[in-house]
Amino acid sequence: MGKLEEVLDLINSGVTQEMEIAKRLGLAKEEVSDIIKILENLGYVEKVEAGSKTCESCPLKKVCYGSCLKPTGVVAYRIRENVQEKG
Amino acid sequence: MAMKVVALAGNPNVGKTTVFNSLTGMRQHVGNWPGVTVEKKEGVFEYKGEKFLVVDLPGTYSLTAHSIDELVARNFLLNGNPDVVVNVVDATSLLRNLLLTMEIFEMGLKNVVIALNKIDLAEKKGIRIDPLKMSKALGVPVVAMSAKEGIGIEELKDKIYEMAQGRIKTNPVVPRYDPEVEREIEHITNSLKGTKLERRYPLRWLAIKLLQRDDEVMKLVLRHIGEERLREIMTHIGEAEARYGRAMDLIIASQKYEFIDRLTHEFMSYVGKEKESLTDQLDRILIHPVYGFIALAMVFYAVFKFIFALGLPLQEWLDGLFASFGEWLAPQIANETLRGLLVDGIIGGVGSVLSFFPLVFLLFFALSILEDVGYMARVAALMEGIMRKFGLPGKSVIPLVLGLGCNVPAVMATRTLEDERERLVTMLVSPFIPCSARLSVISFLAGAFFGSNHSIVALSVYLIAILVALLSAWLVGRFVVKGEESPFVIELPEYLIPSWKTVVTHSWERSKEFVKKAGTIILLGAIAIWYLSNYPVEIGSGKSYAEKLGYLFEPYMRLMGLDWKAAVSLLFGIIAKENVISTYGVIYGTTEAIKNAMTPLQAYVLAVVTTLYIPCIATIGAIRAESNWKWALFTTAYMIAVASIVGILIWHAGVALGLA
Ligand SMILES: Nc1nc2c(ncn2[C@@H]2O[C@H](COP(=O)(O)OP(=O)(O)OP(=O)(O)O)[C@@H](O)[C@H]2O)c(=O)[nH]1
Ligand SMILES: [Mg+2]
Repeated sequence: MGKLEEVLDLINSGVTQEMEIAKRLGLAKEEVSDIIKILENLGYVEKVEAGSKTCESCPLKKVCYGSCLKPTGVVAYRIRENVQEKG
Repeated sequence: MAMKVVALAGNPNVGKTTVFNSLTGMRQHVGNWPGVTVEKKEGVFEYKGEKFLVVDLPGTYSLTAHSIDELVARNFLLNGNPDVVVNVVDATSLLRNLLLTMEIFEMGLKNVVIALNKIDLAEKKGIRIDPLKMSKALGVPVVAMSAKEGIGIEELKDKIYEMAQGRIKTNPVVPRYDPEVEREIEHITNSLKGTKLERRYPLRWLAIKLLQRDDEVMKLVLRHIGEERLREIMTHIGEAEARYGRAMDLIIASQKYEFIDRLTHEFMSYVGKEKESLTDQLDRILIHPVYGFIALAMVFYAVFKFIFALGLPLQEWLDGLFASFGEWLAPQIANETLRGLLVDGIIGGVGSVLSFFPLVFLLFFALSILEDVGYMARVAALMEGIMRKFGLPGKSVIPLVLGLGCNVPAVMATRTLEDERERLVTMLVSPFIPCSARLSVISFLAGAFFGSNHSIVALSVYLIAILVALLSAWLVGRFVVKGEESPFVIELPEYLIPSWKTVVTHSWERSKEFVKKAGTIILLGAIAIWYLSNYPVEIGSGKSYAEKLGYLFEPYMRLMGLDWKAAVSLLFGIIAKENVISTYGVIYGTTEAIKNAMTPLQAYVLAVVTTLYIPCIATIGAIRAESNWKWALFTTAYMIAVASIVGILIWHAGVALGLA
């Protein structure tokens, strides 16, 4: 399994901090941030930027200082099957 | 002769525009792409008598049809026939950046120059990259540069020039995948062979894009091979994905990444890390599983010290002010009833609560600073692990931290928890968190009875409350099957010096609710208390409604060393916790009188019980709205039970220790 999958699996299993992910996988924090960016681009992780509309209207805004990440729920091929039908 | 076209491609924020500007000397103009709304920048530069048109493409992480930007960049690279593609990569994030480079190579583009940008930053971070070796490993020229400092621009121009002249031979490296993926690729390329697509696109690239279920490529292929064969291909892919248990786009990205990881070993190394940033140094301690909590305790101790040191003198001053106002007003009013109502009821009750405004403001002020500095995110990160140990989802830390301000938004914030049972548990425990209203009660009692130890006493009440909340979660959670954990990542921001203006506005916004409440609900409460303690006969006679009401509960209160007055004030505290103070204010009149009526142990028990005993009306309402009546009532009953147990325990422990 590659690093991308390892990071994604950790996020899906509820490991919540870049630092923590980095520590568990023995990677540099910068690399983990980069991997998260890649996963985000692939649509597996969603980033809610601080100051964005979603962030501003979030009930947690007061305590949540910055951006946050959440998995999009895309976990496996099955989710994409509707695309196949469309094609 | 037509100008040669140079395309600048790269991830977002790698410095494409900076490169563009240094190439063109900012003589760019802005044009529109046909068909799409995305702006592109074009500019011209001249080198050795040759003119080049430079096109600054949108920054993208990949060239799959995820977004318009990616499509624009991809279509230009595929159909715009650039003479030279300059792939700007960020030397400090090479692995991620080369992912795009690999895609460019897979598209069959040969005239590629890598602009290895931000080498100045990489240098600082201790990243060493050998451009020559990198060039050999990738099979295309690499120019190390710092566009910001103007380093490498001439060399880049030269490489572009040479390449446009056709004098540079390249051999771009193409990633290889697992045998299983390669088999899929082969299967697809075989299906595409012989179609018109073969002449226009590298089949391997089309195959990879189909594996990634790229919408645009699927449409394109559909036109050439028909629905049936495309469906056959997609089914085949689906089967491969089923074997992996993952989507093919992830598998491909992952294997590409691993390929790059191996490749970079040939030309990249780390020499000693850059000096740790201040944020990292601080976080080493502040989110450390042991030191982090020590730091947390110290920070909150400091917060209380700050609140009390600054707030208590102000509170006393305000309290005195209200008292003198009452004294001044009393002789002016002839009607005895009206005088009582105004002086003892309203000024005594509301005034005693309002005098705590400085403390509440300072609490919010401190919380705002902690938030804006970035510390609250660390508190959340620290507590998150603890939450899960007590069977709460990590996310529940957010409502609980919110609860420090007010429990109502805390209860509402449980909405973000997907699992219904976890949501109920979090809702049950969040009213234990001492809100700002309870801060006024805690600080009132701590200030009046504990002299200079007030901070530590107040902090201990908070700790008890948090401990009770966690234990309750664990207890209730035992009977609640754990649901699927919804993951959540707290991004820890860099520490920042907050802007005083926002901190002050923020604190005011939040604390003005306290004043509003004093003018409405507390006012009504004070009037009611005044009425109950003066009718039908004045208090002290044993016949007032308040006394009768209090006597009803007194036997129970005695268990924790408290009297009927505590019972009455706690009853009124259900409406709003500040009423606990105002009740004492109405019944006793002055702080001195209250001091004489209780021992410090009693005051401490009262502070703890007030904190734990029941959610206020607004919170009960919020719980009902977020769940149902049954749960709201259960939460209320549960809290009463817990507060009684804790109150009795503390009282008896205190008596045993001779503190009574
Ligand atoms: N240290 C350093 N910073 C650079 C260098 N080149 C660019 N930057 C900085 O990197 C940031 C991004 O630069 P841009 O030129 O806007 O990047 P871009 O690739 O055009 O970004 P997008 O248009 O968003 O894709 C800016 O803050 C630049 O000042 C460099 O060589 N060294
Ligand atoms: Mg730009």
